[in-house]
Amino acid sequence: MEHTPLETWQTRAVDWFDRHSGRLFVLPASLLILAFSIFPLIISAWLALSRFKLGSEGYELIFVGWNNFRKLLFGSEQYHLLGTFMPTSWLGWLIVAAAIVLIGWGIRSFVTSGHVTVMGTIGRLIAFGLFAALAWLFAATIGDKGQIGSLSTTIFYVFLGVAIQFVIGAGLAFLCSLRIRGRSFFRVVFFVPLMVTPVGIAYTFRMMADMTVGPISPLWHWLGLGGFSWATNAWSARLVVVLGDSWQWIPFMFLVMLAAFESQPKDELEAAELDGASGFQIFVDITWPSVAPVAATIVLIRMIEAFKIVDLPNVLTNGGPGIASESLTLHAFMQWRALDLGASAAISYVLLFTSTIICVSFFNFVVNPARRARQ
Amino acid sequence: MAIRLLFPGALMAGVAAMGFAGSAWAGEFDGVTVNVITFTGPQIAEPMQRRAPDFEKLTGAHINVITVPFSDLYQKILTDWSTGTNSLDAGVFAPQWMVDYVTPGLMEDLSPRVEADAALKLDDIGAFFRDFSMKFAGKTYTITLDGDFQMVYYRTDVAKELGLGAPQTWDDYIAFAKAANGKDMNGDGKPDFGSCIAKKRNAQSYWMVTSVAGAYLQSMGTSQGAFFDVRDMKPLVNNEAFAAALAVYSETTKYAPPDEINLDVGDTRNLFTSGQCALTIDWGDIGTLAIDPEKSKVIDKVGAVILPGSAKVLDRDTGKLVDCTANICPHAIDGVNHAPFAAFGGWSGGINAKADPKVKDAAYAFFSYMSAPEQSNVDVTIGITGFNPYRLSQFQGLDNWSKAGMSEAAAKDYLGAIEASLNSPNMVLDLRIPNNQKYQQIVLDTAIARMLAGEIDIPTTMKTIEDGWNEITDEVGRDNQLTAYKSTIGAN
Amino acid sequence: MSIFESKKLGEMAVGTKIVVYGVLGIWTFIVLFPLYWVLITSFKLPIAVSGGPFYLPFVDFLPSLHAWSYIFFDLGNDTFRPYFNSVVVAVFSTLLVMITGSLAAYALSRFTFRPRLLTILIFILAVALVIVLVAALGVNWLIAVTVGVALAVIGAGMFRRTPSPTLGNPDILFWMISQRIFPPVVAAIPIYVMFQQVRLLDTHVALILTYTAVNLPIVVWLMYDFFVSIPKDLEESAELDGASRIRIFFEIILPLSKPGLVATSLLVLIFSWNEYLLALFLSTANAQTMPLLVAAQNATRGPQWWYMSVLIIIMIVPVILLALVLQRFIAKGLLVGAVKG
Repeated sequence: MEHTPLETWQTRAVDWFDRHSGRLFVLPASLLILAFSIFPLIISAWLALSRFKLGSEGYELIFVGWNNFRKLLFGSEQYHLLGTFMPTSWLGWLIVAAAIVLIGWGIRSFVTSGHVTVMGTIGRLIAFGLFAALAWLFAATIGDKGQIGSLSTTIFYVFLGVAIQFVIGAGLAFLCSLRIRGRSFFRVVFFVPLMVTPVGIAYTFRMMADMTVGPISPLWHWLGLGGFSWATNAWSARLVVVLGDSWQWIPFMFLVMLAAFESQPKDELEAAELDGASGFQIFVDITWPSVAPVAATIVLIRMIEAFKIVDLPNVLTNGGPGIASESLTLHAFMQWRALDLGASAAISYVLLFTSTIICVSFFNFVVNPARRARQ
Repeated sequence: MAIRLLFPGALMAGVAAMGFAGSAWAGEFDGVTVNVITFTGPQIAEPMQRRAPDFEKLTGAHINVITVPFSDLYQKILTDWSTGTNSLDAGVFAPQWMVDYVTPGLMEDLSPRVEADAALKLDDIGAFFRDFSMKFAGKTYTITLDGDFQMVYYRTDVAKELGLGAPQTWDDYIAFAKAANGKDMNGDGKPDFGSCIAKKRNAQSYWMVTSVAGAYLQSMGTSQGAFFDVRDMKPLVNNEAFAAALAVYSETTKYAPPDEINLDVGDTRNLFTSGQCALTIDWGDIGTLAIDPEKSKVIDKVGAVILPGSAKVLDRDTGKLVDCTANICPHAIDGVNHAPFAAFGGWSGGINAKADPKVKDAAYAFFSYMSAPEQSNVDVTIGITGFNPYRLSQFQGLDNWSKAGMSEAAAKDYLGAIEASLNSPNMVLDLRIPNNQKYQQIVLDTAIARMLAGEIDIPTTMKTIEDGWNEITDEVGRDNQLTAYKSTIGAN
Repeated sequence: MSIFESKKLGEMAVGTKIVVYGVLGIWTFIVLFPLYWVLITSFKLPIAVSGGPFYLPFVDFLPSLHAWSYIFFDLGNDTFRPYFNSVVVAVFSTLLVMITGSLAAYALSRFTFRPRLLTILIFILAVALVIVLVAALGVNWLIAVTVGVALAVIGAGMFRRTPSPTLGNPDILFWMISQRIFPPVVAAIPIYVMFQQVRLLDTHVALILTYTAVNLPIVVWLMYDFFVSIPKDLEESAELDGASRIRIFFEIILPLSKPGLVATSLLVLIFSWNEYLLALFLSTANAQTMPLLVAAQNATRGPQWWYMSVLIIIMIVPVILLALVLQRFIAKGLLVGAVKG
């Protein structure tokens, strides 16, 4: 059978398309991500090294080298980013001790694992180095007269927030996965906070947390706390921010963990129950291993998002009291609003650096092992 | 019913049309569209949206009011104009931002238009706004639509009960707050508070500090300035006077709601109008809010007074507080130096220099129309507009005010306080030099917030502000900043 | 026999049941109470908010429709326009991100990619060059992009045989998710400049493209797990029948992954529906979305709680309805994906 030239051209195109379908499928997504990530990354790197100035011809960018970073890390803005340094208190020493133990344990398990590679060693050096630096930072700024900066505050938000969200989210998911009536009702209801726009949640929590006309103010007064406001104490202000954040994000954990719990191997469960194993035993032996990979992944995704927390502290406290509840993104946002684009970009790079290392470490040390253990 | 409702509207439109009949712009701007940006109101945007159709009938120009959230208005205008996007032809914004728009040449010089414009009735606009607020380096760049300065509001019923008068000095203020704190002032059986000042960080509280400090720092008139020494750009924040102001400011916290450091202006207004505070510092808005039966429990119980003063002021050579004499405090009343603070400066209209010439003319015509007494004198009496008085004629007839629901006594009291502030030759002009956000919203605001939170004490606070301000000044260039500062306050 | 011991296998004891329902009940209250508060606030007069706290309409305070009438009648088109914009932007960006994202996820789950570090480096250099050309030298962006693409292709061809380390599929996956680390505050300005250059500011297109890019990593990440769990034999037999990849994808894979698609779509739909910061930058008048209107209710006079509450409610209602309709899929959708983790 003979082909007309047109047909040949068409078949060829289809053939070619089919052969390269893998690449072609990935191409649109990659291009989009590249356009929206590499470009901003390069531009803001440039901004971080410059000073933005309004001149006679619109704006100009004056190259200032590491000035923005120097000011943040060692200069007049150090208290803001890193905190106010004070002699280490007992709490500080406790943190140092805990960090030493953890790092020692990490090194030991790496050396004894038998997979010592060059990349592995470099990765661990960076990860442990950052971990040690952060532990020292907390230890040196957390004392009586000291004051933790926006970097430490952000890390506090991430770790406490994600921990609360995971524990409560997974706990609720586990309860909902039991054979009870009304599961679909709870499933939809628990999902709701995620649907509210973050700005709206922030304002809703400001209404809730109002100790003069808010809904819990009578309870507050009844407890004899009328003269105290959470907004005036550094740690209680941070805690309220974490609570608001948790209210919004527990549903996310809940949904995914619910799916994970419902997909655990039914036959194994039944067999164990027939054998008369206790509920706790079943959870430890069967349920937990089967959901661990999902749990690790979801914690990672949530961590990445949590590092960018901004709406809640911005609306609830505007970063106050003092600078106590200011997250890194809020810090950058405020500098940006005051037209200090250089400082703003520099802060973002500090955030990018810290969160990338923490997330990559988490991916390599927690998510990957969890996934491998499952396979 | 419908006819009765329609009638006043038609009448107003008719009056407006007559007031504008002789203008040069009648029917001139057919087919022109002007994009005017301001924040999402209802305040400020509401009167513009309401009057735009009338204006279109008169001149043919279509006014498209664009709104963005208040907190992002400054950036939005700047980004649009400085990157050459130019989708916005004009804006209604704080005159404080003017410097950042004028220096790079983004704003149109309105001086020739203003001079040729009889309908604007420039002479009727308060001297402070005409000579300082609308101008930058001697040229007029904005048209004032709103008069903004802070005053102290107090509860007249509480004052009577306590046997106290309106606070004249900051010491009186403290005494009043102390005496009133803990009393039930709205009849709900719960103790209420002596003083409510918006002290929330990164909001509008940095203006409150200057409202308190002004009287201690500036005594020789607007051109003396309250932020820097005009001789060498030395910040006026590390001296006995500023320390005294900070002490007053911290002391008020004792007679305030426990979460005062987390209260924004909206919160303190709600607290005051719901009868939970004896005193507050605020702009003119409380006057109209307090007579709104939907919002207020304190109708006819509110007195307004010019910002309290001080009998001691700063001696700039020594950094010490000295007693007022006729030489040092030429504007003192009964030995007390008052320095009302034109915080924010009042919403004003400015025009994009890169807009089409025809559009610029139409935009100017619109601002002039909004500001003309025929329109403005009605708008300032309506609470929702957010416009406060700034024209002399607005203090004369009380008709518009009583129509808006204010009792004669309250109107006299309110307008009296505004007039006293407006006529004061010692008004403090808000900081308008390049990078003013950094000086105020970053350095000053953060340091004060840390002080109130107990992170640092008063001497450290003053040192931090001084160092922070000097750092910015040196970064930008001391001479440039000094020149800019002097030209904004009209110093020699 | 204690109440915590079950009588029958697979059934809960009464005591356990009480505890379980107790906990779930308390959480239901915690979830719903703030929303109840928002709902009643929308019916309060300002004085009922500031005089607070009042809990029950008609008992504690007299409800009023003033806020609702303000939002729907006084604001009128100023409410409906952003609402319409939000719908358009959320729906189209969700469609676009689901198509591009699941194509990529599918490819990553079926093919092995070995992108060379050197090629990536060349590409980054080309992008940097384009930026310099446009930003610093003022070259027209179309010309600059063309030059950049040409140089990248030539460069990649030239160094084709030079040895270089390669990356694998997990690296690509992690690279994609890592794109979410960068704080949007800083990304916003460059993205603004980008759309300004192509004159797309304040259009739906700009927002749709941006949200697509921002949500892509989530879609790829979630759908990847989903596709991995679908057995390959179906595709293999279709392939033997001569079906093309794209047909296999649309006719076999997508129908099989309906629950996953639905669940993921709902998630990204919610994210685009609620996004604030980027919308703030990229829209001025025509393309403004609802979250901006919510934030705008906090102006010089402090938060207008009553208006804000109305807006929050009209923003959640459609999403809740959608979630109710799709409820069945959501559970199943994340379930299959979760099997493989």
